[in-house]
Amino acid sequence: MAGPLLPLEGQQIAQRGPTEAVESPPRTGATSSDIADPGLALTGQPGIAWAERAMPVLGMLRAVFAREQPFAGLTIACCLHVTAETAVLIRTLTAGGARVHLAASNPLSTQDDIAAALAAEDAVTVQARAGVDRGTYYEHIHRILDSAPDLVMDDGCDLVNTLHEERPELIGNVRGGSEATSSGAARLRRMAAAGSLHFPVVAADLSAVGRMVDHKYGTGQSVLDGILRATNTLVAGKTVVVAGFGPCGSGVAERARGLGAQVIVTEVDPVRALGALMQGFRVLPMSAAAPLGELVITATGSREVVGAADLALLPDGAMLANAGHFDVEIDVIALAEVAVEVNRGVRPYADEYVLADGRRLILLAEGRVVNLVAGEGNPAAVMDTSFAVQALSLAWLAAGQPADAAPNALDRVLDVPEDIDARVASLTLASLGTRIDTLTEEQRRYLESWRQGS
Amino acid sequence: MPDTLSLSFKVADLSLADFGRREIRLAEHEMPGLMAVRAEYAATQPLAGARITGSLHMTVQTAVLIETLVALGAKVRWASCNIFSTQDHAAAAVVVGRDGTVDDPKGTPVFAWKGETLEEYWWCTQQALTWDGETGPNMLLDDGGDATLLVHKGAEFELAGAVPAAKDDDSEEWRVILAALTEALAETPGKWTAMAAGIKGVTEETTTGVHRLYEMARAGTLKFPAINVNDSVTKSKFDNKYGCRHSLVDGINRATDVLIGGKVAVVCGYGDVGKGCSESLRGQGARVIVTEIDPICALQAAMDGFQVATLEDVIETADIFVTATGNYNIITAEHMSRMKHQAIVGNIGHFDNEIDMAGLARLPGIKRTNIKPQVDEWTFPDGHSVIVLSEGRLLNLGNATGHPSFVMSNSFTNQVIAQVELFTKTDEYALDVHVLPKHLDEKVARLHLDALGVRLTQLTKEQAAYIGVPVDGPFKPDHYRY
Repeated sequence: MAGPLLPLEGQQIAQRGPTEAVESPPRTGATSSDIADPGLALTGQPGIAWAERAMPVLGMLRAVFAREQPFAGLTIACCLHVTAETAVLIRTLTAGGARVHLAASNPLSTQDDIAAALAAEDAVTVQARAGVDRGTYYEHIHRILDSAPDLVMDDGCDLVNTLHEERPELIGNVRGGSEATSSGAARLRRMAAAGSLHFPVVAADLSAVGRMVDHKYGTGQSVLDGILRATNTLVAGKTVVVAGFGPCGSGVAERARGLGAQVIVTEVDPVRALGALMQGFRVLPMSAAAPLGELVITATGSREVVGAADLALLPDGAMLANAGHFDVEIDVIALAEVAVEVNRGVRPYADEYVLADGRRLILLAEGRVVNLVAGEGNPAAVMDTSFAVQALSLAWLAAGQPADAAPNALDRVLDVPEDIDARVASLTLASLGTRIDTLTEEQRRYLESWRQGS
Repeated sequence: MPDTLSLSFKVADLSLADFGRREIRLAEHEMPGLMAVRAEYAATQPLAGARITGSLHMTVQTAVLIETLVALGAKVRWASCNIFSTQDHAAAAVVVGRDGTVDDPKGTPVFAWKGETLEEYWWCTQQALTWDGETGPNMLLDDGGDATLLVHKGAEFELAGAVPAAKDDDSEEWRVILAALTEALAETPGKWTAMAAGIKGVTEETTTGVHRLYEMARAGTLKFPAINVNDSVTKSKFDNKYGCRHSLVDGINRATDVLIGGKVAVVCGYGDVGKGCSESLRGQGARVIVTEIDPICALQAAMDGFQVATLEDVIETADIFVTATGNYNIITAEHMSRMKHQAIVGNIGHFDNEIDMAGLARLPGIKRTNIKPQVDEWTFPDGHSVIVLSEGRLLNLGNATGHPSFVMSNSFTNQVIAQVELFTKTDEYALDVHVLPKHLDEKVARLHLDALGVRLTQLTKEQAAYIGVPVDGPFKPDHYRY
């Protein structure tokens, strides 16, 4: 199966077979990390400490896990963005008794100082360096799989996919996993539909708490943050086209409007399009929106949402950013093909593509997920909620909760159990000092009854 | 205070007075500025001897203003400044007064009812200007400048010796004014000249009236000093923006009950009023497009995230049109003929000439169907129609109840303070148009903070010295724009 990551222009991707280049280490797993500079370990500590302060829910879970040891003796392979927030998650898992092997879930999002700080911890190895090529990226995934994990934690499904496609001998050992993103969950469901998913995976993207806090508010804020850092552009007065009005897209659209942009939404789903319209956004097909788009942000989970035909319509100076997980939403290959000149790094994470007619298009973060590449990803408080859902889901899987490998492969993609969602929401509310009401017994009975009408 | 005037008045129905009084009582609580002024001046009665003619929308909030002026010692006669804006229960309650009854009214003379004809409107204005045994009022409180205009035009025509004949392209309203003045000049020669001489000054409420005053001051025809209340920060930045933000969608909702979310709304003009209107329509989920002639306001609109287009660009695609320009002929009959079926057209500017209603009525084959009061469907010969609110007059007052009490408390506290200033310090105000000094503007704001639970930070002496202002204000230079 073709990986979703596209080669960067001019890069020759060495396709690597499952057995070459890396020796299969023994079951005890990779003991050495592959990081940019172990000397950065101290540099990474303040960032993690800062994130810890902003992640009270994981802090509470860490205390619970330390007491209950849900992962005692278990090995967890994690393919996640290597950021300070992820470091707090990893420490929560290790507090629960896990041995964790971490690889990056994106070749550009690794913060090397955080990787170094984590690699210095006892129960953790890290395979991640910022800016690695595609070959090394997958090499890192193989290295964490070498640990023959009991649980997997994925962000984009590259880990689970590689495990199934290239390391099938490890499947029997895996109790289950979790997937953070919508893009990854969609891949999982396609795998399951094809009968190719062989252990249960909790799709955390469908967590009600995760959707709301992470996608809408976290991504909404951090995508704009990433774009601002990459461009320093004034958003007020700009026409911003947001492709997709799902949880992420609607968050991005709202925040862009909050900064004073005129926001145009493009959609394929009539229900979402109607929602956008009712919230006062202009809704246009991309072919009509592109000529107006001074800043175009994709948040669809689909591919070639800004395709060659749209690129031909964009105004001079238009900026292109992708908020979706994979770098296929903006057709970067088509952009490179129509460009007569590419000026890389006009600012960090901003490349200028000059077209034959003289128009200049600015591609941010090479079309990769802009909030993680050009910014710092979701704010720590947001990741706190979403990681708590995943950590609790993993603990649930570790305890063997779901009947081992559901008979129907489709059933192996699991929703986050409602009580986990409720628990995380309650912990988050508590961390914000917010108290809520509790149903009385009479109210509960009323809500469960159907005899009482008007 | 004994009232030597016979209490002549004309309102729709005095029996509405009880309802009006109940609403006035609620409004008083929402108008802390006016109530504070009443308390402050209860003993000194600074308006004793003032004969104030007011021409201002006769609403519940205005009732609180009128009774504040009376509480400060003034005698008052009142007319509305718009044929549709009177709340009949408020008018009735003011006439009956706090201590009167329907059979024995003891309040203030009011000449106003909802739905006056133009002839009736100008008759009411004249009645408010007519004081038994006096040449007229000695103070004007104006909104849109109609009372001021009548006095000035009357005096001008008396000097010229005759009222000019109406010209073919004169508006219907101007013809009515000329007819009224022709009659008045014949009846009481020299009336307007004498009245103008007896007036100490006028306090003007709104942009349009202020515009007229500056024109007259520039032309040297202004006959008494004026205080421009509109440009007090606590008026224009509050009443115009926050008041319209509240009452625009209120008016549209009451008139049409059309779902605003998802619609495309065009706001013509992005001044203080247009800003409030745009924000409220957006808040309801409309996509708002702004039209402007001023590059600064247009840029503000763009920076606030609104699409800025010309009316021509959007006339055929928008669902709701609101004029807020203070100019005229913004939406023409030809524009309306090209709008979508059942597009909603309304005006929130002071006068009814922003939308060319006369031109619309003159279109061959046009048909007007009244849906309910202040809501008309105008059907074009091709079968499509537009819905015009309040006959093109300001829809927030015609279709709803105008600005809410709290906002009006800011405006009206400025009015009362301006009346006191002009009446008690007449000599300090030369024949010109003035704005209230900054410290009075700040005072108006201060009087409204407690009600909202606002806790103000106090400058230390050192901090005040550092930025070069007195500890208790004024805090900003006069040119500061807020």
